Amino acid sequence: MEFLTFLIILATAWLLWRRPEKERLAFALLIVSCIIMAVLFLIGTHTSLIPGLNL
Amino acid sequence: MTLLSQDRLRPVLAWVVIALIGVPVGGAVWLGVVYGESPCILCWAQRTSMVLIALVGLFVLRYGPRPRYIGMVVLLGTWGVYMALRHSALHLARDVGQGFAAPYFGIHTYAWAGFIHFVVLVAVAVLLLLLREDAPSYGPREPGRVGRFALVLFIVVVGANTLQAFITTGPPPFIGQADPVRFSLDPRHWVWMYEDEVRGRISLRGSWTVPRPDPAAVEVDADPANGPLANLPVLEVQRRLTITAPLGGTLTGFARDPATGRFLAVTDHHGVLVLDSTLSRVDHRVLLDHQYSIDLTPLAGAAFLGDTLAVLATNKSYVLLRPDSAADREWRHFRETDGGVTELRRSRFATERARQMYVLSLAYDREAGELITVTVPSPRHRRMVVSRFAREDRLLSSEFEPRLSAALTPSDSGRTLAEYVVTGAVAVDGTLYTMSAAYSTLLVIDLDTKLVTAAYAVPGIERPVGLAAHGSELLVAQADGRIAVIARPETGHGQSP
Repeated sequence: MEFLTFLIILATAWLLWRRPEKERLAFALLIVSCIIMAVLFLIGTHTSLIPGLNL
Repeated sequence: MTLLSQDRLRPVLAWVVIALIGVPVGGAVWLGVVYGESPCILCWAQRTSMVLIALVGLFVLRYGPRPRYIGMVVLLGTWGVYMALRHSALHLARDVGQGFAAPYFGIHTYAWAGFIHFVVLVAVAVLLLLLREDAPSYGPREPGRVGRFALVLFIVVVGANTLQAFITTGPPPFIGQADPVRFSLDPRHWVWMYEDEVRGRISLRGSWTVPRPDPAAVEVDADPANGPLANLPVLEVQRRLTITAPLGGTLTGFARDPATGRFLAVTDHHGVLVLDSTLSRVDHRVLLDHQYSIDLTPLAGAAFLGDTLAVLATNKSYVLLRPDSAADREWRHFRETDGGVTELRRSRFATERARQMYVLSLAYDREAGELITVTVPSPRHRRMVVSRFAREDRLLSSEFEPRLSAALTPSDSGRTLAEYVVTGAVAVDGTLYTMSAAYSTLLVIDLDTKLVTAAYAVPGIERPVGLAAHGSELLVAQADGRIAVIARPETGHGQSP
């Protein structure tokens, strides 16, 4: 899924460079990338979502 | 402070993007290709977050500093700081030099990621402070020469990351690994995984989810017949004593001073009382301020260290006190005091095997000069750990999980010592006597061999909270202030079943 995230990021950068009029689409792709990144981190930490320390 | 116009902001921002994408993100790819370092799933997320921050920078280059871009970069920065805290927590508390993977400039990559996200937040704040309040102009603009270079560099570096991500994590639905394999361009060495990372139940605190025991109301099955050890001999209660002195709370810990015959009692409201040898008079009484300085959960253990009083909270924090007729200014430590006690020290016992476990007992081994605690099990951590601490520095001397001697047999192959809930302990002549509220059982532990050499059912005990020795007898203190007197089993003889 990290591979997919970077593909989306690349597509977004390409839109910024070559199709700047598609700002809404580019920003939507940015949001999607952020969500995938966050979900992947949460998958990696789902057995203990907050740091294992005294709070 | 209005120094930066939107036009001047763009090249500044372009250089920020170049630095972010070129140094940490580009450097990470370099480490993969040259040194074979593959990121774990958490590293991947942190690296992606840095890439996304750079991408937001490119948005600003193209369209100006729109509020939603600023919101997004602040969100990514704070998320990145959270990720770094969560990731670094796996390693930060370990010993000197014990990081994970190679350090760069003396700092490991998970800590660098936290620093970089912190700097991003600072940089955004500074740029916003310096930005002139021009009329907003959000249409697409030419990024300029430096901006174009930033765009090209971004695509090249992210392209390289895309290739590395394909090799080390694979196409969807495969995801990054907790313990990644080395990076290789040879497809025979590629490992793509999915199931391992999604296994395990969702939890907020994981192994740190440990319910706090209430020493005044331990809920257990007190019937010895249901315990994990079979066919135990019975120790009958010979007589009962009663604490007639006013305790001002429920008794949660108990000890006897062999030198003076006086008793030490602790209560559920952080009361510490020195009682005379008849249990009828309070010689000293203080009420500890449990949320001042070191946090004290309910007190659960007590011991005499000569003329020093040691009391222990369930979280393995302890307080050393001493009767002192010249005590002065003790309002600093106590919520209430009779004016005759000084607090010497308040600190915490640090353990290894007993980490993330609470205790309900404290003993003092005079011969070894060591304080002793015994853990109680929780749904997360089911084991019994005996920890010993040197009196001089209160640091861990040794730690062990007692094993059963050959003379004792479990009632079932699945039953273990970890089912006992030790609420009272006393050390005599190299032997640790422990009273378990669960299954109302006395366990005799040889501190040299680390074996449970004998165990006895003690019927008729209600909510035991402490254990003391008096000659050939053991005094089992109950939460209601009554003391059950039983014979102290001789060690090394044939009383084990």
